[in-house]
Amino acid sequence: MGSPIKPPDKEDWWNVPVDRRESIWLGLSVVWAMILFGWMSVWTRVGDQNPIGETYRVSTDEFQEKVETYIDEADEVDGGIVPPDENVYIAGMTFQWRGLPVVLETGKTYKFRMSSYDIQHGFSIRPEEVLSQHTNLLVLPGYEWVIEMEFDEPGTYHVICNEFCGVGHSSMHGRIEVRDEVNV
Amino acid sequence: MIFGLFDNDYDDGGFRTCNVTGMDIHRTVENHVKVFGLTAVVALIVGGFFALTVAMTRWELVGLLDADAFYIHLSLHAWNLLIFWMVFMEIAILYVGGPMVLGRRLPLTKAAKAGWGTMVTGALVINYAIWTTSPPDQAPLLTSYAPMPSSPYFYAGAIIFLVGAVVAALPFFVALWQEKKWGSGGSLPLVTFGAFATAIIAVEALVGGLAVFIYALLWRVEIIDSIDAALYRQVFWIVGHGTQQINLVAMVTVWYFLTHVVGGAEVVSEKVSRTAFVLYVFFINMGAAHHLLSDPVVSTGWRIWNASYAFYGATLASLIHAFAIPAGIEAGRRRRGKGGGLFGWLTNAPWKNPVFSATIFSIILFGFVGGITGVVMGQLQLNMTWVRTMATVGHFHGTVVLGTTVAFMGLVYFIIRTMFMRELAFGRLASAQPYLYAGTMGVATLMLMYIGLLYSVPRRIHTVVRDIPGSDFSLTAAEPLMIIFGIFALLAIVSGALFLLVALASLLIGERRVPADIVPDGGVDFESDEPVHKFEMRGTFVITLIFMGVFVLAYIANWYLLSQLWSIGP
Repeated sequence: MGSPIKPPDKEDWWNVPVDRRESIWLGLSVVWAMILFGWMSVWTRVGDQNPIGETYRVSTDEFQEKVETYIDEADEVDGGIVPPDENVYIAGMTFQWRGLPVVLETGKTYKFRMSSYDIQHGFSIRPEEVLSQHTNLLVLPGYEWVIEMEFDEPGTYHVICNEFCGVGHSSMHGRIEVRDEVNV
Repeated sequence: MIFGLFDNDYDDGGFRTCNVTGMDIHRTVENHVKVFGLTAVVALIVGGFFALTVAMTRWELVGLLDADAFYIHLSLHAWNLLIFWMVFMEIAILYVGGPMVLGRRLPLTKAAKAGWGTMVTGALVINYAIWTTSPPDQAPLLTSYAPMPSSPYFYAGAIIFLVGAVVAALPFFVALWQEKKWGSGGSLPLVTFGAFATAIIAVEALVGGLAVFIYALLWRVEIIDSIDAALYRQVFWIVGHGTQQINLVAMVTVWYFLTHVVGGAEVVSEKVSRTAFVLYVFFINMGAAHHLLSDPVVSTGWRIWNASYAFYGATLASLIHAFAIPAGIEAGRRRRGKGGGLFGWLTNAPWKNPVFSATIFSIILFGFVGGITGVVMGQLQLNMTWVRTMATVGHFHGTVVLGTTVAFMGLVYFIIRTMFMRELAFGRLASAQPYLYAGTMGVATLMLMYIGLLYSVPRRIHTVVRDIPGSDFSLTAAEPLMIIFGIFALLAIVSGALFLLVALASLLIGERRVPADIVPDGGVDFESDEPVHKFEMRGTFVITLIFMGVFVLAYIANWYLLSQLWSIGP
């Protein structure tokens, strides 16, 4: 008898044959687990969406200096600042995104350099028109994360903080304007 | 009257034989199971109350609480349900799976009592610390992510609770050691084996928790002057997700136990089921790495290794149980002459018994809702579209509520029937309660997922659907689904309250009676010459193929959604 609350009734329970259908299921499960792994790995090579980028240790003061220098050097147009080169600095702080709003161009690859001045923040971004197209990255104090992004659709992208950072957390909102052409 | 709850008829040696399971139960085990189980139910009452205030705030149409109160209530909801309700139940499960199944007395009863007292103290301190949160401290939620400070009493309470849980687990390990030293010498029963796997995973998780909360406490009381946000996250998730792995493995163990004792299920392959538990022991704690998938700092290789090779070792284990448990019911019932067609074994099962129905709903909903979404969001890239959104909240309500809590509700009913020896009060209502809860909570959970995935609504936030303070923008498009969520969340909370009503009324006013009516068809010890693995498992095969189909479709749909995004990463 196969009771789960008694010792196995056969001493050599390891050698009891496994049902044919259960064996098929085991095979299917192994294949599926390999597909799950394989596809994830393939996507890092051929896919366009990967949360992969270099991280650098940075003190809050250092990062603050970088961000302020960047903002000083940036041009300002109606809608936000225009980064001087491919670097886009964004710093989370309670309760705002320093570096936003920013105006970017479609089809251009930017390096988002993100960190925090104080505690953790969640960089959650979506285009205004299609809310299902959203992505969520973490911003940590003490670390600068460099993630490349290239937007193909113009529009307003909204950034919300989605990691709890204090009672005023829900007001932490910023904008990224993406345009086909940015004239400074 | 309270002591009347602890007075079954034991022989001179302190044992009695259970008429449902046939187990020889010692007074010491039974009474400790009752105490830990009742304490868990108290935590469920507290945490369940805060479910109401949290859901009615997130449903911004009602907008019950202001921001200050909301995060405090959310923290109390998380700690009382995700930690206290679960861990007190799990200690009870260890005592059932260990000494009770083995027919031994509970060793080290003083350690069990000290562990219980320490856990209760820790739980009270944490509740106090969260409730009295004041600046500069913030409500910790579950995670208390440093360097955002929480009350020092919070970290201290967490340390006390974790120490208590380790101490309370000791009698279980000693019982196993005694069994190996003085017992029959054979293999352990499967349920004991599962409980053993649970306990190993639990100790790993709890030790990780001690490390992280001691680190945070030392920083908070300024013995060390800085804390690394990335290191905190990495160590925190050893306990943060580790406790959820305890819930999972304990729940699977409970599935094997309850499907057998009230449904007549049998183990179709000891080899396969035990291998699955071993896979959990080796791999499941690595799965916690998926919390760092959309993080900086940890390398891509580290993330892929832990969230794939390692995690799929655990996924494979769950897929094995996904077949083995329904197959056990099918083969066991066919052997008892309760087969008939493809699904006759299932349709003629004891569906009016809430112990049985709760167990089956837990199995189905955990698999289809919690399990599939867990694997999907555990993929490196898909994680970006799930993490920190309401979809994540949907996922873990699929696992720890639809899965674990529903199974544990069944177990509480079972304990009331077979250990407290009480009839369930409000008979029909008791029968209907798992249907009501699983149904309404199931809809609420699906809504959370859609709200998160399709409308990008974040978790852990006070307002955002109707109003982002200081901005014209908001996520109002999510409002219709929010209304459905709000209504079903309310219904689910009422159905949860019905569970408490039935459970407590049964204990206090239920008729005292030996539970003869929940014995499975043919009795638990049904004898037959036919070995169980010879019986057809075609019904199960069809069910698992449907499950695999849904899994594949959900997987493809999520990748499609991701591929619509702009280019991110190299």
